[in-house]
Amino acid sequence: MLTINLFNGLVYGSLLIIMSSGLALIYGLRRVVNFAHGGLYMLGAYIGYTVAMYSNFWVALVAAPAAMALFGVLLDRYGLRLLQDREPLSVMLVTFGLLLILEDLVVFIWGKANYSLFTPELLNFTVDLLGNQVPAYRIGVIVVGLSVALGLTLWLRFSRIGLFVRAASTDPVTTSMQGVNTDAVSAGVVGLGSALAGLAGVVAAPFLSLSPHMSSDVLIDSFVVVVIGGLGSLAGAFVAALLLGMMQAIGAVYMPQLSVLLPFIFMIVILIWKPSGLAGSRT
Amino acid sequence: MRFSKILLLALLALLAGVAIAYLTPSKSLLGLFAQAVIYAIFALGVGVLLRQNGLTSFGHALFFGAAGYAMGVILALDWISAELAIPVVLLGIGVLAFLIGLVIVRVPGIAFGMLTLAIGQMAYLLATRSRGLTGGADGMSVSWPATLFGVKQSVLLKPDTLFLIVWTVMVAVAVLVIWILRTRFGAITEAIRDNEERARFIGITTTVPRALVYALSAMVTGVAGLLSSFNAGFVSPESLHWSVSGIALVMVVVGGVKSVIGPIVGAIVYFLFKDLLGDYATYWMAIFGATLIAVIVFSPDGIAGALERLFKPRAKHGAATGPRGH
Repeated sequence: MLTINLFNGLVYGSLLIIMSSGLALIYGLRRVVNFAHGGLYMLGAYIGYTVAMYSNFWVALVAAPAAMALFGVLLDRYGLRLLQDREPLSVMLVTFGLLLILEDLVVFIWGKANYSLFTPELLNFTVDLLGNQVPAYRIGVIVVGLSVALGLTLWLRFSRIGLFVRAASTDPVTTSMQGVNTDAVSAGVVGLGSALAGLAGVVAAPFLSLSPHMSSDVLIDSFVVVVIGGLGSLAGAFVAALLLGMMQAIGAVYMPQLSVLLPFIFMIVILIWKPSGLAGSRT
Repeated sequence: MRFSKILLLALLALLAGVAIAYLTPSKSLLGLFAQAVIYAIFALGVGVLLRQNGLTSFGHALFFGAAGYAMGVILALDWISAELAIPVVLLGIGVLAFLIGLVIVRVPGIAFGMLTLAIGQMAYLLATRSRGLTGGADGMSVSWPATLFGVKQSVLLKPDTLFLIVWTVMVAVAVLVIWILRTRFGAITEAIRDNEERARFIGITTTVPRALVYALSAMVTGVAGLLSSFNAGFVSPESLHWSVSGIALVMVVVGGVKSVIGPIVGAIVYFLFKDLLGDYATYWMAIFGATLIAVIVFSPDGIAGALERLFKPRAKHGAATGPRGH
């Protein structure tokens, strides 16, 4: 019982890694708490669903993030860049307005019905894990989550663009004085973050059902992760995402009534102890 | 503005309410207006916090829903009379919010918003999962007594009386808030909002006044919650959901943060979209979202700010250039 729960916690934690790393990246560069991230996740899932209907899941896994990346670049160019001198609250509410639009857009195109995506053939078998039968697809989700974490870390740490991204999120003004085109860096990062939201949507589609309200829970959990981890900190978000998944899994076994409250209790405790989050230095 | 002038304006507002009640042809439209006014009071509470503390709450639905639930439980268990329960519930919400505020107002910026969101969502999840009295996800009915303050419930719930009641409450709350914020207490909270460190240097304790503003804003929102539970006779977990808090915040920003009545303007605009446009357009939410973005981009101080600029530009212009020109 506990093993299978821990496993599922790891699966959900991996999904949260994909979601919240996108949020953290965007916050790092643009200082925006992006409510539209939930909309991009949902849009990614629906686009993935439609693409998978006409071709197959693997095409969808590439197409949906690509579409969201394009959306993200446009969002940065014609939205966040123009609003960068505004108060954070205003920009946050602009993204909230965008979320309202995206939710209606999904209802407009796909209707209000719930959909679910079939597990791809290739991963449609079960694996024996310490005496429990677990679906191979979920192991795939964990692999994707951990690859995203590892890939982002290596990219930011060792690539030239990664260096620009780190510099721009520490001090955008000085960075642009050194000759880095911070607007281009930001557009790229918001594009990447949005692509990750789309990826999370497609990855979640076969095991969470698709509905116009699917974004709310995951979005709130991702906020909790990003805030616990320290706004804008990727490493903090990775740790917090896994902790949150595990916590819900263990909570579901030992105190099923309270397990849904645990993330919030955890966040309140962390924030009161350290307002900038686990790894954060800025507020 | 002098306070006597504000009282005069309040009187005019009350008369306007009477005029609206008599001039509105359809009863159902008046019912919708009453709902809009209730949400205006809700938004007024959120606006007080944002204006006076500079803090963004994503969890004020907690106080909106909690007022309804507390009233429902008290009336179901028949502890005290409904007339007495109203101040008891409001006071309870004030104390609860003050205690929460003492802990969370120390946390700055976005983290504060996320804390309020977390606390609100906890209440939402508890309400959906609790069985028994509060009815879980189905919600609970709030059984108000047949007569309240000596007036029959059927009379109070008639659209025109109900509208007049909520309108009067709104005007009274707005005047009360303006009055409280004009006292020394209001000045202190503004000083803390603008620069907490300097306020501490001149010897002001900063946490308690901020927690008090939080409590005040929660109580205003609680008033809206009570009125809503009276209007609907029902309270459900949905009223605690974070999206309700989000919409209230949107009303505040669309209406205009800088003035006390901005949130009221925002609430009215929201209900115009929801109920009038909603009849013709299925996707009114998207249109509202687009309007929200447009208002924030083109008029950062909201509709109230835009109206002010529309009516006052000449006076300002004249004052600036007049003396110099001659």
